[in-house]
Amino acid sequence: MKFPLRYLLPLFFLVLSAIAFATIFQFSDLPPADFTFANGTEVKSVDPKMVTGAPEGRVIEALFEGLYQRLPSKEDPNVLVTTPGQATSYDLSEDKLTYTFHIREDAVWTNGEPVTAHDWVFSWQRFLHPQLPSEYAYQLWYVKNAEKFSLSKVDTGDRVEIELPDRAGPTNLPATDGNSEQHYPRGTILSGILKAEEKISVQVGDEMEEGSVFEVDVKPTKAGKIDWDAPGEIQKFVRLSETDAVRNAITKENPHVQPVNFLTIHFDEVGIKASDDHTLVVTLNNPTPYFLDLVAFYPMHPVNRTCIETYGYPGWTKPENIVSNGPFTLEFRRIRDRIRLRKNPKYWDAEQVKLNIIDVLAVQSDTTVLNMYMNGQIDWGITVPTPALPALLKRDAEKPADSLPDMRIAPMLTTYFYRVNTTKPPLDNPKVRRALNLAINKQEIVDYITKAGQIPATSYVPPGLAGYGGGHSGEFNPAEAQRLLAEAGYPGGKGLPKIQILYNTHEAHKDIASVVQQQLKKNLQIDVELRNLEWSVFLASSRNLEFDIARAGWIADYPDPNTFLDMFVTDGENNQTGWSNAEYDRLIHDSQSEADPVKRLEMLSQAEQILMDEMPILPIYYYVSLNIVRPYVKNFYPNIQDLHPLHILEIDEAEKQRIFKAEGLR
Amino acid sequence: MIRFLIRRAVWIVITLWLVYTLSFFLMLAVPGGPMSGERAYPPEIEKMRKDRFHLNDPWPVQYWYYLSNACRGDFLSSQVLNDYEVSEIISQGFPISATLGVLAMSMALILGLSAGIIAALWRNSLLDVFFRSLATIGIAVPNFILAGLAIMIFVFQLKWFPAAGWGKPIDMVLPSLCLAAPFAAYISRLTRTGMLDVLGQDYIRTAYAKGLMPSTVVLKHAVRGALLPVVSYLGPAVAGILTGSLVIERIFFLPGLGTHFIEAVTQRDYTTSLGIVMVSTALVLVMNTLVDVSYQLLDPRIKLK
Amino acid sequence: MLRDADAIQGVSLWQDAWRRLRRNWVAMGSLTFLILLSVAAVLTPIFPLQSPVEQHLRDRSFAAPNRQSVQLGLSGLDEEQRSIAIKTLWNDPSAFDEALIRTRLAIFGDWAVPSLCGSDHLGRDMLSRLFWGARVSLIVGVVATFVSLIIGVSYGAISGFAGGHIDDAMMRVVDILYSIPFIFIVIFVVMVISEPTIKGPLESFGINRLVAFYFLIGAIYWLTMARVVRGQIISLKNEQFVDAARTIGADSARIVFVHLVPNVLGVVIVYLTLTIPSVMLFEAFLSFLGIGVEEPNVSWGLLANEGLKVITPIRIYWWLIVFPALALASTLYSLNFLGDGLRDALDPRMKNR
Repeated sequence: MKFPLRYLLPLFFLVLSAIAFATIFQFSDLPPADFTFANGTEVKSVDPKMVTGAPEGRVIEALFEGLYQRLPSKEDPNVLVTTPGQATSYDLSEDKLTYTFHIREDAVWTNGEPVTAHDWVFSWQRFLHPQLPSEYAYQLWYVKNAEKFSLSKVDTGDRVEIELPDRAGPTNLPATDGNSEQHYPRGTILSGILKAEEKISVQVGDEMEEGSVFEVDVKPTKAGKIDWDAPGEIQKFVRLSETDAVRNAITKENPHVQPVNFLTIHFDEVGIKASDDHTLVVTLNNPTPYFLDLVAFYPMHPVNRTCIETYGYPGWTKPENIVSNGPFTLEFRRIRDRIRLRKNPKYWDAEQVKLNIIDVLAVQSDTTVLNMYMNGQIDWGITVPTPALPALLKRDAEKPADSLPDMRIAPMLTTYFYRVNTTKPPLDNPKVRRALNLAINKQEIVDYITKAGQIPATSYVPPGLAGYGGGHSGEFNPAEAQRLLAEAGYPGGKGLPKIQILYNTHEAHKDIASVVQQQLKKNLQIDVELRNLEWSVFLASSRNLEFDIARAGWIADYPDPNTFLDMFVTDGENNQTGWSNAEYDRLIHDSQSEADPVKRLEMLSQAEQILMDEMPILPIYYYVSLNIVRPYVKNFYPNIQDLHPLHILEIDEAEKQRIFKAEGLR
Repeated sequence: MIRFLIRRAVWIVITLWLVYTLSFFLMLAVPGGPMSGERAYPPEIEKMRKDRFHLNDPWPVQYWYYLSNACRGDFLSSQVLNDYEVSEIISQGFPISATLGVLAMSMALILGLSAGIIAALWRNSLLDVFFRSLATIGIAVPNFILAGLAIMIFVFQLKWFPAAGWGKPIDMVLPSLCLAAPFAAYISRLTRTGMLDVLGQDYIRTAYAKGLMPSTVVLKHAVRGALLPVVSYLGPAVAGILTGSLVIERIFFLPGLGTHFIEAVTQRDYTTSLGIVMVSTALVLVMNTLVDVSYQLLDPRIKLK
Repeated sequence: MLRDADAIQGVSLWQDAWRRLRRNWVAMGSLTFLILLSVAAVLTPIFPLQSPVEQHLRDRSFAAPNRQSVQLGLSGLDEEQRSIAIKTLWNDPSAFDEALIRTRLAIFGDWAVPSLCGSDHLGRDMLSRLFWGARVSLIVGVVATFVSLIIGVSYGAISGFAGGHIDDAMMRVVDILYSIPFIFIVIFVVMVISEPTIKGPLESFGINRLVAFYFLIGAIYWLTMARVVRGQIISLKNEQFVDAARTIGADSARIVFVHLVPNVLGVVIVYLTLTIPSVMLFEAFLSFLGIGVEEPNVSWGLLANEGLKVITPIRIYWWLIVFPALALASTLYSLNFLGDGLRDALDPRMKNR
């Protein structure tokens, strides 16, 4: 007893030290990457349907390739143009509703399978599938019946598909567990025509509850083809979306009702079809001039069916399993450390890909990013700490005129604004809101707080969209603001209750809010207090309209004013101001079916002017991208969407050595 | 001793359960789930996403579901890093934090003990004052400032170490030094105080009187007595290093448990933060048990109960 | 003989300690510094400092330390404007502070001390912020430590003396609390009390984030104190003087608080001098994670964290990190040296030496 216990503690330390040193030397033989960049944060997933953020976008764009891609234009590299990716070309019908994409013959997956039109049918079905729709699913709702499918809405008379609860998953998940995200391969699919939906009341515990039973005329399937004209068999189904108790009660009381996983509109009815291996036909609800930008958007990238059906999610995203079709492959992932990408030799344009190994670092802290950059550990950082910005700009200015700067600052399609709660007095009065807007000196904010050349905002939609005029909110004008406030019944700010500005905890938001606080105090004698909340609490408060004024930002999903404006329609999910205007709703709605692009933009401009007159939001400034890039990185161009495809980048080795020598780096 | 360990094991299980329950309900009470993003989504989509983690269930169902899985060591999948199970995150993060912690602890012990002993033996000498001042810097300056200054000096002036990152053994040196600094300082103080206490005791005088070599007296008797406060400090020090690593891992961009934890908590990743809380709790419990055992081994006057 | 006895003055432990402490110039220096600092912190509003919150974005953002004279700009205002200005410039001062500010305005008029310590990114005066930050930092340190002292010493002493099952149970509770990573609880509680539905009612009771902080931190730091005290009591309770006390019929409470606790006071004080600094550091740590003291309040931890953000290899605004770090360090230094001095002074074995 004496011997082992006496040495317990040192022994424990020895074991720990052993682990420690084993860990240290485990990774020490890692070959250096050709190109390393700080991606801002750890990616939430590499599955295109599971993510929404820009950091994820950068990785997914490298791993997968969509029908089209957005690359710097040859004429002006600061402008992005949609260029062929996995598709070589497309045809657009007269009515601008049908897109026919021609898929590249030489495109292959990393497992050797050819990339075909069927891959998009599969990927987009998976993307929209009601079991776990992508947060971006609404981006495909422009496609005919996509919304109905995604939300599993069905009407009597619709052709429907029914998934029976007989899934054979690759892992032993219960086949009826509809909450499992691993929904491929699916169970047996029945097809038929919905005859009726009836509400049935059943006894659950002590209460009566209601559930839906669907009556479907199920059509026979012969050799994989559905015979819609043949006489069918009437069957009744109850869906998984009912609560377990209701579903069980219904099937107990009505033995002929079958429980099924999903009952949705038939996917053949959705406007996504492969007419042959290399032709994809997409039918839209309305003419959508930015549809090509959408198919180039990373959530719409295709995924490999074999891989997903073999491993399921999340198994298929593991580096050892993943099959991709983009310029790079996934070599390994270390959580909140790095993702290593390696050039994909099977990529159709592999000759043009210059970088062999790319490291994507998940660095969070801006200061750390700058430290690593200055120490030569990374080649590109997506942002820099604001206090260092003036010094960095000065450093660039002192360089010889012909050399590239490190800081690449460019305007972005992103607006920083304040939402105003229009349901609560005194802010329910548009005059008060306009007075607030005119009393905020936005120039001062961009000059002294953000300091990176951000542009003071006089409209909601940022400038830079070709052919779009937009609305105007008026320039900084304290005298006019005081007049408006007096007109609203608060001369000299008298009688106005204290207004609260709500922001999520962040240095920059705090600084801006406190400047606005001082400006409103000075220009309108309004008392403003600041309140910060942690991110998710802040979101909840914004949604429940528990604020007077709340900070917000909006990044364009696609380069079109609609991405900004359609959120302020009455009861829009992202409206969050309580504001509603019938004329505005009508303009937005009508513009979506307007075929003439000039007229459409005109209508959107009118809508924005209404927004700017009514002021449910106070635009503050338009963002700029603050990329810091080593001058030896070639083909890196700033653009309004801040997209920087990795596969066109190149390292100028001679220049790199010269710079490293000059800065004394290794 | 065996009975002590068995009883302790039972207590550890009960403690873990209490901690789990407490943390679970604390998190449940905080508004704003992990599913909230900057944009709002149609309610149907929102519901399906929440269903994945049983967040729509009433709390007893949720609690039972999570607890029964946790008992099997399965903390489910992360609610933010969709591709990973919590156990994967922990198994990737733990070795890094453990490495950092063990290195820091060893540095703290070596530096702290030697400085403390020297300071006590040559009390009020220049060396004593020097070590005490150095120790006070360790205690008096927050380690994030220390780390910031160390980066400026050792990375950008002397160019000895990389600024941040994780990959080569050299990456570990600066972070563990910064993490060790306050603990080395504490330990040197405790050692000095403990030594001075012991050196004033009668039995030391007796030992000297017996004619033992001063070095023997110091090493065999005095140091052993002085180790007591240090050993009892090890338990809290482990907890402290866990806390300190939150800061250090963040500054030096190390993908350890501390980084994962802070990220998980701020992003409302229920499952991951619960998992990490449980792991660090278990770690601290085990360390405390070890400290109690060694305390008894060092001081026979104390009986384990 | 009796006369002789009268001539020998009884010297209490504390008198004796004080005598010895006075001979220790380092400890006395520290004590003086701490007293001065506390007085300065309490009386901050009366000093002719600039406003701690007023921003000068245009001309003084990141201004280096300088000796340009500064006017507050309050001279031409009438009484009503003046009280509004006071509220804005000093961020709704309490009645006590406002009285001090008015006294200061009466004495020094519009004149304010130049930005001797430079100004921050918003052009706020660093010197003034340091003074106002001292208040928060010191109060957090002292109050929280005091809370932890009371809980920890009584808990540890009772537990150690009682022994047996009671000791076991009490220490299990400490173990349980010990093994919860506290940062977790702190993050959580801070978030809960920031909730609008919870914040309102709490504030009507006068509990804001700062007050919650004292108790939160105090409630964390008593654990170590309890353990140390318990350990000491256990090794002391078998000593002869306890038996002696018991023999003359002292009850348990008396033995614990009259005989045992004073004997562990040395250790307690050493821990106390470690606890105040670590509480202040903990506050700084929370500030680093962005969940510490809230603006517009300032603490040294918050200032240091803001300073850290501007240390970049490209440009170092040294005054933003050096002054808060110096303020923190010198205070913690003094506390430590005072602690050392007290430890030596209170050592019973040093009696009459």
